[in-house]
Amino acid sequence: MINKKKSSDDIRSIADLSCGECAVICKVTSKTLSPDSPCVRLMEIGFTPGQEVRMIAKSPFSDPLAVSIRGTVIALRKQEAECILV
Amino acid sequence: MHLGLTDSEDGLTKTSAPHIPTITILGQPNSGKTTLFNLLTGANYTTSNYAGTTVEFSSGRLHPKFEFNATIIDVPGITSLYPKSPDEQVSVDTLFAINTTTPTDLVILSVDCSQLSRQLYLAKQVLDSGFRTVIALTMPDLLLKKRLEVDESQLQSMLGCPVIKINGRTGEGIQNLVEQAVLLYGTSLFSKTIPVPPPEPTEETVTVLYQFAEQTEEKVIRNLPKTIDLQEINRSVFNSRISTPDPFSIKIDKFLLHPWWGIVFFGMIMSILFTSIFWLAQPLMDMIGGAFDILSATVTQNFTSPAWLVDLIAQGFIGGVGTVLTFVPQIMILFLLLGVLEDSGYLARGAMIIDKPLSKIGLNGRSFVPMLSGFACAIPAIMAARTIPNRRERLLTIFIIPLMSCSARLPVYALLLALLVPRDQPWIGGVALGIIYLTSLFLGTAAAGIINRFRRASGPTGLMLELPAYRRPILRFILRNTYYRSVSYLTKAGPTIVVCCLIIWALTYFPNVTPNVPAAQAVNLSAQELDQWVVAERTSTSFAADFGRMIEPVLRPLGWDWRVGVALMSAFAAREVFVSAMILSLRISDDGDNFQHAITNAMRNAKVSDSNQTLFTPASTIALIVFFMIAMQCISTLAIARKETGSWRIPILQQTVYSLVAYGAAMASVAVLNAFGVY
Repeated sequence: MINKKKSSDDIRSIADLSCGECAVICKVTSKTLSPDSPCVRLMEIGFTPGQEVRMIAKSPFSDPLAVSIRGTVIALRKQEAECILV
Repeated sequence: MHLGLTDSEDGLTKTSAPHIPTITILGQPNSGKTTLFNLLTGANYTTSNYAGTTVEFSSGRLHPKFEFNATIIDVPGITSLYPKSPDEQVSVDTLFAINTTTPTDLVILSVDCSQLSRQLYLAKQVLDSGFRTVIALTMPDLLLKKRLEVDESQLQSMLGCPVIKINGRTGEGIQNLVEQAVLLYGTSLFSKTIPVPPPEPTEETVTVLYQFAEQTEEKVIRNLPKTIDLQEINRSVFNSRISTPDPFSIKIDKFLLHPWWGIVFFGMIMSILFTSIFWLAQPLMDMIGGAFDILSATVTQNFTSPAWLVDLIAQGFIGGVGTVLTFVPQIMILFLLLGVLEDSGYLARGAMIIDKPLSKIGLNGRSFVPMLSGFACAIPAIMAARTIPNRRERLLTIFIIPLMSCSARLPVYALLLALLVPRDQPWIGGVALGIIYLTSLFLGTAAAGIINRFRRASGPTGLMLELPAYRRPILRFILRNTYYRSVSYLTKAGPTIVVCCLIIWALTYFPNVTPNVPAAQAVNLSAQELDQWVVAERTSTSFAADFGRMIEPVLRPLGWDWRVGVALMSAFAAREVFVSAMILSLRISDDGDNFQHAITNAMRNAKVSDSNQTLFTPASTIALIVFFMIAMQCISTLAIARKETGSWRIPILQQTVYSLVAYGAAMASVAVLNAFGVY
């Protein structure tokens, strides 16, 4: 909702945030619908739609990423971070 | 041993002994569970593996000062009552008494109040499942830094269970916590409910649960009295202050998680860690080794008969105990430093920095410290692997640790490289040693990569690692943990190591206990030389030598003879024993100054048994180095792998695979060298 630059084919995930950037989660979804999908676990950890996240740091290989959520910081691999759309 | 708890009868059945309630400490990772455990328990404290798993938990009795008899269990942290990994499965199974006979009577739930809504998720699940729960609000100091506090009585009435604020550093509130727990346990005796695990969560149920958590958080968190900023009347500003992580930690992370400075700092920390276990432990290990040598010599001097019994005690038993104890300094130093890194919050960040390359071979960032420690010694390294939460990654790390070139291999490499390298160009040896270390790192990575390719992860392999707020570690808890780790190593792996050392001793000692000294020899030799001659003769006619001769056909293609075989077998007690065993079998006498030269010369001149062929040719020496790089020549490693993985499966697999690969690689290197005209 906060995403101003959003165009029709440009869906951003939290992996696309730059350091220090804030965003509000709009959806948690996975490309594959396998039972191994991390979505529910990500939500259980606190990444629920409507929550504000902030990119705290990126590791040297830009993977994993450190994202703040609900008063703490969680390191996520890029693959997982891409499931969280903003 | 099963939990160390025998008193597992149901509290309602009338037994002569009163039922001792079991209190399980539950909470999310980093929520201060272990601090609670340390505050609640007294001196008796055991760590055990869940039957057949690598998951470990601590249990202990409630401290006598609380005047209530209960067993406290600390299970690994969980995010949700619906497990996603085998490790969480074990925590949850224990909680619901699935596969165990010890039902949880009471739950003490640690809730980090600086991230309340996230922590209330699990709290709500636990309460909804029907557990009698007391909530311990931890980390109030972090909330205080944000000029906020929790209204405990409000939270208590919203959740319907006692809520007590705990100061982990001072222990404030812990007495009250126990009192509430005792009260709650008293009421539970009258109405017993059996807790039910929650159904699999869906996006909807998670959302509903979090809605409750958010509403609760909003109602119970308030500004500190007298510090209300006018601008913060605005609710949204206030809310964002609640959901901001510890600002101090974020400031530090600007440096420690900086793309470049982060790596520099990581390198520094890891160098300190490694040099500590590699160099700092050395004098302590030498001291222990020296003390046991003196002890052994004293026994030999003061008791004479029967000779074999004296030798059994002096060499076999005292030597074995000495072997066990020499690892203690490294274990203690590693666990002390690991404790400081873990409790300060840095370990998680280090894991994040190094995660990417390790994830490529099926490991995660937390495998780094154990792998690095493996270059000092596999024993503490395998023990350190317990900081890896994911079972599969932990087993994989434990599996490849023996490939890391440990310090016990250094004397062996030094001896063998001295044979290869021209005496006037010692730098070649240094370069060769560098290559050996790099190759061992490469072999470890390759092994993990190959295993990962063949045995793909069954479940999801994510990271999802919390980077907790930086905190000053509580040293007394770290010391306590280090102490119990060492004790658990001594009591669980120690006996296995001693027994194995005794077996190896017996194999190289019997059956020719008192070899006959030919009269011609006896005249020419001094008393000391005679002793050495006897030992050498005894070994070369021992069971180990028989076995060495038996497998000689296998060793011959590599250019080795039975004496190398015996030395390899002796080296199972500890790799560096290879050097002394080789000296013994070549009957080199220690005449002081030029001992090093004497060894190299004797080894250069040694001939393969019953032939004129040189034993240590460049090809056979390189083959030996290659063999040592890969082979699992260490019973202590096997014993600790058995202890840490909870079964013999992994150690046996390691022994078989690495021995075969080592032999094959040694053979291949001989073939390649021969092809290039090196013999």
